[in-house]
This record gives sequence, C-alpha cells and structure tokens, in this order.
Amino acid sequence: MAIATHGTASNYLQRAPSPSGLADVVELILDKGLVIDAYVRIAVIGIELITIDARIVIASVDTYLRFAEAVNRLDLTQTEAAGLAELRDGGGDGKAKGMVEGAKDALSGEGDRKKERAKRG
Amino acid sequence: MRVALQSPTAGGTDASAATALYLYGVTWEDVARPQPGAGVHGESVEAVPYRELAGLTSAVESTKVPAKRRDLLRHAEVLGTALVHGTVLPLRFGVVFENGTTLVEDFLLPRYAELTQLLRKFEGRVELSVKAFFREEAILAEVVRANPRITRLREATRAASDASTYPLRVELGERVAAELQERTLRDRQALLDRLSRLAVDVQVDQQPIEHQVLGASFLVERERVALFDDAMNELAQEQAERMHFKYLGPLAPHSFVGLTAEAR
Repeated sequence: MAIATHGTASNYLQRAPSPSGLADVVELILDKGLVIDAYVRIAVIGIELITIDARIVIASVDTYLRFAEAVNRLDLTQTEAAGLAELRDGGGDGKAKGMVEGAKDALSGEGDRKKERAKRG
Repeated sequence: MRVALQSPTAGGTDASAATALYLYGVTWEDVARPQPGAGVHGESVEAVPYRELAGLTSAVESTKVPAKRRDLLRHAEVLGTALVHGTVLPLRFGVVFENGTTLVEDFLLPRYAELTQLLRKFEGRVELSVKAFFREEAILAEVVRANPRITRLREATRAASDASTYPLRVELGERVAAELQERTLRDRQALLDRLSRLAVDVQVDQQPIEHQVLGASFLVERERVALFDDAMNELAQEQAERMHFKYLGPLAPHSFVGLTAEAR
C-alpha cells in the first residue's frame, strides 16, 4: 500500500497513519462506521464524559466579549505578514452532511437494545 | 445453505456460555488475516468466513463492552491493519454477536448481497480525514485590518475594559464573530474546491467548532493518495501563516459506509 509520504524538501504536513488521540478515535468509530439494526446488540456501555477538545461556537454576549478581549490583546505590529495568504474565493460543490445528525439517525433505530451515546461537553 | 464456520476463539473458549463475539468489520475472505492479541481486551482477532466474505472478530466475555480508551484505539487499529491487506467495511464500536453462527446467520448471510456490493464499491479506495484551523492571532489580525469599523471599535475599547465600554465591546465582538464566520465559510469552500476534485466523495462536518475552517473526510482512490498529499502540502505551505492542519489516513471508509435500515 502506498502510504509512504513523498515530496521531501517541501513536506509541510505529515499525514498521520492512524488516529492517536481519543477525540479522533471517538469521532471515527463512535460517530461513524456501519451500524447494524435488528440483528445484534449494540453493546457499548460506560461511555461517559468523553470530552472533545473543541469549543462549539455559540452566538452569545460572553462569546462576543471574549472575541473583543482577544482582538484587544493583539499586537498588530507582530502579525504584519498574516493577512496576505488568504484563500481565493471559488465555486464548486462539496456534498455536506452533518456528522451529528448522521450519528443520531443511525443510532435512533427501533428496538429494545441498549443504546448509549457519547456525551460531548 | 452452506455455512462455513471456524472457531472465532483461538483459546477454545467456545464452550463458555459467557463468551460473545465482537465484530470490527467485514472484509473479503481471501485477504482476512488473523491479528494475534490485537483486539479488544487484548484478544486475538480471527476471521469468521461466509462465502467470499469474512467478519473480523474477537472473543469478548460479555455482550456489554465498555468503551475504554484503549479498546477504542484497538478497534481503530484492527481496522487500520486490515486495510493494509485489502478493502474493509468498518463497523461502529460496540457491535457484538452471540457467536460465529449468529454472526453468519443474522448478518453475513442476510446482508450478503449488500455487503459484497459495498466492498466492491470501496475496492481500492481509502478515507483521508482533513481538518483545518485558523491560527487565532493571525485570523484576528486579518479581521481587524480588513474591517474599518472593527479597527475603530478596537481603538475605542482597548484602553478601558470597564462598564463604560461594555456596549462597544459587545459590538466589537459581534462584528468579529460575523467576520470570522464569513471567512470560515469562504475558506472552507476554497479548501473543498481544491481537494474535492481529487476525491470520489466527500463528507463535510457542519458542526461550528471555533476556529475550525474545515472538518471533512475524503474518499480517495489509493493511487491518488500521493496527489492528495501534494495538494495538502501545497495548502499547508500557502496557508502556514494563518491555518494549521490535521491530516489523517489512509483509513477504512468510516464516513462513507451505510446499510439501508430496512434492507435484509
């Protein structure tokens, strides 16, 4: 299998071969993957307080004040180069699917089997 | 009905009534390889074949499998190893059958047509996971420079963060949030435009995670992974000042598998 990275001198980004962190692996195998209805037990127990290291954006005064504070802390003389590398606009179509919605759908099957969701927070 | 079965448990624990069978994924029988000691709870992964399919399984003591960090990682690693040998359909963590016979009779046999069709669909294809995040200082500086109202509000509120500037600070933050949102959507689309052309399919995470520009999984032909690497390297280089990336793969097609709920 061609997993060897190529491109030597300009290798800015290394592809990781497998998920190493808990957040990555939870996203991969608790939110995604084949789910089988009816025939088997979904036997996951004890998923508690798996914290994902990500902050969901919420439109609130607290968020605004935090952004205001972050902007006011900036030293613009030290970030002169930063504004130059913006991505260009473009059209195109990526098929989009909400991961959370997908997971809910998949898990909301019928039956009396045990179901427990990973709690994110 | 011809049902070929082999013992899923190397240690001969079949006799134990408490033993159940944990299922990691489904692959072709001719590329299914045992993985000694690699499974959940350190059990060996064995193939349970049915016609040209094989379920990758290991013995578990009960039908309740705690989602421990270590076992979550093992589930992912077993699938990663299987992917080296051939195409594999990854299951979500925690699918358990009573034994090899029920695995065949309740799943591999009734879903045979669908599973073989899916395996063919993913033949020679892998999932690559991409995440891109704004570097906070750089993107905020960009926002301040680009928006004169934000520049003025910043000047007006910098000296004092007390009650007198509260309404201005709320307005400043609100405008910054709006600019960030706009840049996130615009840059997400630009990244997708660059990467989607190299992929067979793409799934985009729509959760609004702070500073995350893109969270997406790309289904890519194995022979195009090197091209995808090149594109990712170019983006990482171009955007080094204002974004950082997480790039993961090749993975089994976790984000792209799906069985229709009513199919048998």
